Amino acid sequence: MNATAAIEIRELRKEFMLSHSGINSLKTMLTWWRKRKVERLEVLKGISLDVQSGECVAVVGRNGAGKSTLLSLLARVYKPTSGTVTVHGRVAPLLELGAGFHPDLTGVENIFFNGVILGLTRSEIQERLETIIDFSELRSHIDTPVRTYSSGMLARLGFSIAVNIGADILLVDEVLAVGDLEFERKCYTKIDELRAAGATILFVSHHLESIRRVADRCVWLKDGLITQTGDPESVLAAYVAAAGGEVPELP
Amino acid sequence: MLGELKELWKFREMLVTMVQREMKIRYKNSVVGFFWSLLNPLITVAVMTVVFKYFQSNSTPNLGAYVLAAYLPYMFFQLCLLDSAQSVLNGLDLAKKIYFPREILPLTMIVSNLIHFVLALAVFFVYLLGVYILNPQVPPFQVTTLWLPVLLVVNVALVTGLGLIISALNTFYEDVKYIVSVLLYLLFFLSPIMYFSESVYHSPAAASHPWVYTLYHLNPVATLSTSYRKLLLASQKVTMRGESWDPLPMDWTMFGITAAMSFAILLFGYHLFNRLKWKFVERP
Repeated sequence: MNATAAIEIRELRKEFMLSHSGINSLKTMLTWWRKRKVERLEVLKGISLDVQSGECVAVVGRNGAGKSTLLSLLARVYKPTSGTVTVHGRVAPLLELGAGFHPDLTGVENIFFNGVILGLTRSEIQERLETIIDFSELRSHIDTPVRTYSSGMLARLGFSIAVNIGADILLVDEVLAVGDLEFERKCYTKIDELRAAGATILFVSHHLESIRRVADRCVWLKDGLITQTGDPESVLAAYVAAAGGEVPELP
Repeated sequence: MLGELKELWKFREMLVTMVQREMKIRYKNSVVGFFWSLLNPLITVAVMTVVFKYFQSNSTPNLGAYVLAAYLPYMFFQLCLLDSAQSVLNGLDLAKKIYFPREILPLTMIVSNLIHFVLALAVFFVYLLGVYILNPQVPPFQVTTLWLPVLLVVNVALVTGLGLIISALNTFYEDVKYIVSVLLYLLFFLSPIMYFSESVYHSPAAASHPWVYTLYHLNPVATLSTSYRKLLLASQKVTMRGESWDPLPMDWTMFGITAAMSFAILLFGYHLFNRLKWKFVERP
């Protein structure tokens, strides 16, 4: 459809199998096979979306609407049940806390570990190491295992790696909410910087203020379908109205 | 399958990093850590040698070396299967957050156990050298020792195939690893580790039914154990309770069958793993 699309999503569907009997051993499978009940849960029911290169798109919706599933599919953690996801460029995913960290490795080791998984060579990571540590403001803790980190510290390190590896596409799932005010501000400054450099950003947030602040476009997911997409102001107004609230005025 | 292999090659640096981490944990106290992990096989073999020599009156010379030559590969086999069984479940948190070829998780266990096995074999040759200095009858190296890389390739193909199958199944059915450990225990007795394949050959059962010996060696672990002994050590008479048997030659036909089986298991295992690997994070 468009030559400059960074993300192309076509008729994307994702189903999960839910088991109530909890068949996770051969024994239960053999003894309880008659009572076995598997339920299908359709989380995404056919979504099509194009994100242009350099665009910043926010995804809103209630819990369970499929936002995180959508991001996980873009990060290739899940395979679609049907439909296609095409991503052009290197992706830096930030799904939940501690984006792909190994708890026993130290901060520095995890920077290398994470960087290598994201497709960088060791020398490329070495070049960026100082920038990443500086940005995370974790220099005094960088040589301790990350299992000792607080959730805020994990988010800092994860964000710091994701924004500094030169990714073309950034996927962010509500991670910015745990950082303190100062770090959050720094993150948004960095996001502006990345956008100016032409990076594509897709993020999930419940923080309306930050959506207004950075998003070019807003997508409202409801029960696995896109209800509305458009400029953040009007989509958010509809979303908040549906939730029974008032849109707070811009200061 | 070729596409999957290409993707795996792209992520080779991740495999290296994972293996380094694994080795670091295992050899925490550097040199001491390595010898510590060798202590278990050495003590086991020492006990076995004493039992065979004095209680079972097995007077085969240099018995300890023959037991070690089969016990070290068995340890490698066992550790690979048990470690890879749990590998995917242990790596699930990581797998839920980032994309990478899932086979890296069991392969990390295979590669780090292989490194450990090769180091243990190096110590084994030092042991043989020590025996040679004390008693210069049995040379520590044979011409056939040159076949060791071939043995290792077949052995690695076998454990990788089985490791992939077990890790994939254990992710969905968490009791698979218990079944595997029971089977490993039985396999230990069904393979010539504490005894010689010559004993099987000359046993009354095999003497009256020659197919018993062939059936026995259709177990790839049995054939590999015998092959390690035949190729790494000088062939010598097996003497037990006054009876003496001439050594059987290296059975290349059985080894060929085992090699073919191992590669078939590897192909099947990789195919099965690839079919299931994207369901790991979605397990009910």
